[in-house]
Amino acid sequence: MLLHYLDLSWRSFKRTPLVSMLMVLAIAIGIGVTMTSLSVYHMMSADPIPEKSSQLYAVQLQTMDEGHTWWTEDNLPMQLTYQDAVNLQNAPVPEKKVAMMRTGFSVYLDSDKVKPFTSNARMTTPNFFNMFNVSFIYGGEWSEQQEQSAAPVVVISKELNDKLFAGNNSIGQLIYLDDYSYEVVGVIADWSLNLKYYDLNNGAFNEPEELFLPFSLVKTKELTSWGNSNGWKHENINSYADRMQSEIVWIQFWAQLDNAEQKANYENYLNSYIQEQKKRGRFAREKPEYKLRDVNQWMQYNNVVSEDNKILVGLSFMFLAVCLANILGLLLAKFLRRAPEVGVRRALGASKRQVFLQHLVEVAMLGCFGGLVGIVLAQLGLWAVRQSYDYYSSIATMDITMLLSAPVIAITTCIVAGLYPAWLVCRTNPAIYLKSQ
Amino acid sequence: MLEIKPIFHALCRSKVGAILLLIQIAITTAIVSNAAFIIQDRVAFLNQETGYPEQDLFMFNVMTFGKDIDLSQQFELDEAMLRALPGVVNAAQSSSIPLSGSGSASSFNLKPAPQESKSIRSSYIFIDEHGLDTYGVKLIAGRNFTEDEVTITNSPTERTTNVTVVTQALLDELFPEGDGLGKTIYFGDLPLTIIGVADHMKSPWLKDSHPNNVALIPYIQGKTYAQFAVRTKHGQRAAVMKQIETAMLNNYNKRVINNINGLDQLKDEYVAADKLMMRMLIVLITILVLVTALGIFGLTLFNISKRTKQIGTRRALGARKSAIINYFLVENAMICCVGLLLGIIAALLLGQLLMQHFSIAALPPSYIAGTAIMVFVMSLLAVFGPAKRAANISPSIATRTI
Repeated sequence: MLLHYLDLSWRSFKRTPLVSMLMVLAIAIGIGVTMTSLSVYHMMSADPIPEKSSQLYAVQLQTMDEGHTWWTEDNLPMQLTYQDAVNLQNAPVPEKKVAMMRTGFSVYLDSDKVKPFTSNARMTTPNFFNMFNVSFIYGGEWSEQQEQSAAPVVVISKELNDKLFAGNNSIGQLIYLDDYSYEVVGVIADWSLNLKYYDLNNGAFNEPEELFLPFSLVKTKELTSWGNSNGWKHENINSYADRMQSEIVWIQFWAQLDNAEQKANYENYLNSYIQEQKKRGRFAREKPEYKLRDVNQWMQYNNVVSEDNKILVGLSFMFLAVCLANILGLLLAKFLRRAPEVGVRRALGASKRQVFLQHLVEVAMLGCFGGLVGIVLAQLGLWAVRQSYDYYSSIATMDITMLLSAPVIAITTCIVAGLYPAWLVCRTNPAIYLKSQ
Repeated sequence: MLEIKPIFHALCRSKVGAILLLIQIAITTAIVSNAAFIIQDRVAFLNQETGYPEQDLFMFNVMTFGKDIDLSQQFELDEAMLRALPGVVNAAQSSSIPLSGSGSASSFNLKPAPQESKSIRSSYIFIDEHGLDTYGVKLIAGRNFTEDEVTITNSPTERTTNVTVVTQALLDELFPEGDGLGKTIYFGDLPLTIIGVADHMKSPWLKDSHPNNVALIPYIQGKTYAQFAVRTKHGQRAAVMKQIETAMLNNYNKRVINNINGLDQLKDEYVAADKLMMRMLIVLITILVLVTALGIFGLTLFNISKRTKQIGTRRALGARKSAIINYFLVENAMICCVGLLLGIIAALLLGQLLMQHFSIAALPPSYIAGTAIMVFVMSLLAVFGPAKRAANISPSIATRTI
């Protein structure tokens, strides 16, 4: 029966090609506009690490004295001070945690083959790779002991390995960062990360870093942050040692808490940590404040999805409503013109239900065509977005979910639009049309 | 004359088409007026005066890895070399770059920290006496730094600087009475006397809460990561930019020169998201208006084909062509007016919603009025063609079939 309806629909499509095409075009434009903004929204808000996002927590501590405010919604600084980061890193719980910050080096080899260039680097503890599911092509992370002794070791990205060592196994090779040599201990696999959720300081859609080094080197090499550093009170900072002891926040900290028990444990620990620090004159607040946010909460808290995009999604759905009204008008015209034919079918024994279904199938077919053309238009729109804004190149794309939802939205829209015309036409009284013929 | 009553009765007999049209007009009005307001907001943001000759300025980064030189002295040599390059007007090492989205800001106070006093946020640039000229910004009062007032050091703690040149905006905010020139402000606990006032110049962040506040401080620190600004003669920027890497490396080669960008390019990068939003909204409302116009056009055509016989009959009974055209125009105008009324309410509600949830200002009524007029004119234009066709229906058609 369905095939028969589809056949009828196709004949009907061919009989009034202009009106049919107009309808398909109307849906396609609506879908094209909606899917363009929705795809960007979808990619921006997509869970970057779905298998672990509820186990990874960004740690925030309220280090400011009573009365001071931050620009975040809950007044908590986004990052930690160096001393807190180190203390939490040395804490007994949890098993896996990572302190880190972004910096950069000039990179060169002993030979003159490669012209020196600068690269972004992440100073981090070895758990980073395991916690954020980073896999290695060659080698692996540095050892805990190397971390403790601030060993000159480095993990490089595949891209950098291709550039410096033509993609060969480079474990054990030396590279120069600024003017010190570091031994390559690992090469990570391509990390197709749309969203740099682990550090949202300088744009969520930037590429991950290309160098990874022990966090302990921050202190020995006196590295400065290429991310944000923020203070909230005046401090006399005359040396790097002053900076390490200051209340300036510039370190990101994540903890992996696998279950509610571990989380509760860690919260207890943080409470006692704050109490202990209070004795030293820090954390001058009446009650201790801290926050553990998992990956998705962290992205929301950092407003990863831009305001503009939310507005665009809203407006494009309103746009789709206009297209829907348009299609409804056209369907009405098309179906009512066919009343005589329906009259004959009804007289020959077709039930109202069958006529109604037949018309819905026809409408769904239009929606399907519209959805497909809409995907093409959306691709065009996304291409334009990428052209216009480099930074969005990784997120202005349609993934499989979006590709599938385009026809679903199109067909749903069309069926909603087709309900009334189909209902109207199935009520056709056969007698009238039989008489007039 | 306008036959409103019979038209209204006729409309009541085919409500659905009219209602659909009405909904389209209402939503279109709501979207277009709000989108137009956002677009206008972005256009103003994108076209604001920055105070810099953006086309003649460019910047680059220097990352030094060699440890065998005195950095700040090397930068002095570099500056001298840059200034002597043909086509260069002036050049200076600059601790942050305007319009680039990255730089430093602090609060400037009327009393030394930690004493409590009036505190104003401002961006600051460590730069020497060539700074103002390099950025092409005029001094409107007081004087520039002298060479002797510039501290050149490799140590982060040497604080002998005691003067500053600030923008008019910052001065006005610190000293609303207008007597700021010559007064002392505090950068942390470091006192700085305001010796000059610079004309309008923007800070590194166009979206900062205080985008016009800039303080120039004559303090040059030799750091491994440094930035330079260069102003060239008009039209010669590309040529100078091309040779900059070689020229800098010839001076000293244990360093990386990169991010050689024009100021206009840096600004474009910073505002790219806003430009994108503006473009997307323009595309959205253009297509929307076209779709709505097509909808009106199609519906009128449909109505006419349905009423061919009636129109023929009216013509046979003596109605003029203009009466037929009028009929459709008035019919459309009636629907349109109701639609616009709903649209205005919807636009206000949508504006309210946007204002509540996003950082968007209240929608000015002029945008709604403008949109309403535009939609009205558009709908009349869309109807006019089909209505003229209807007027050409021959009276004989009424007599042919029953």
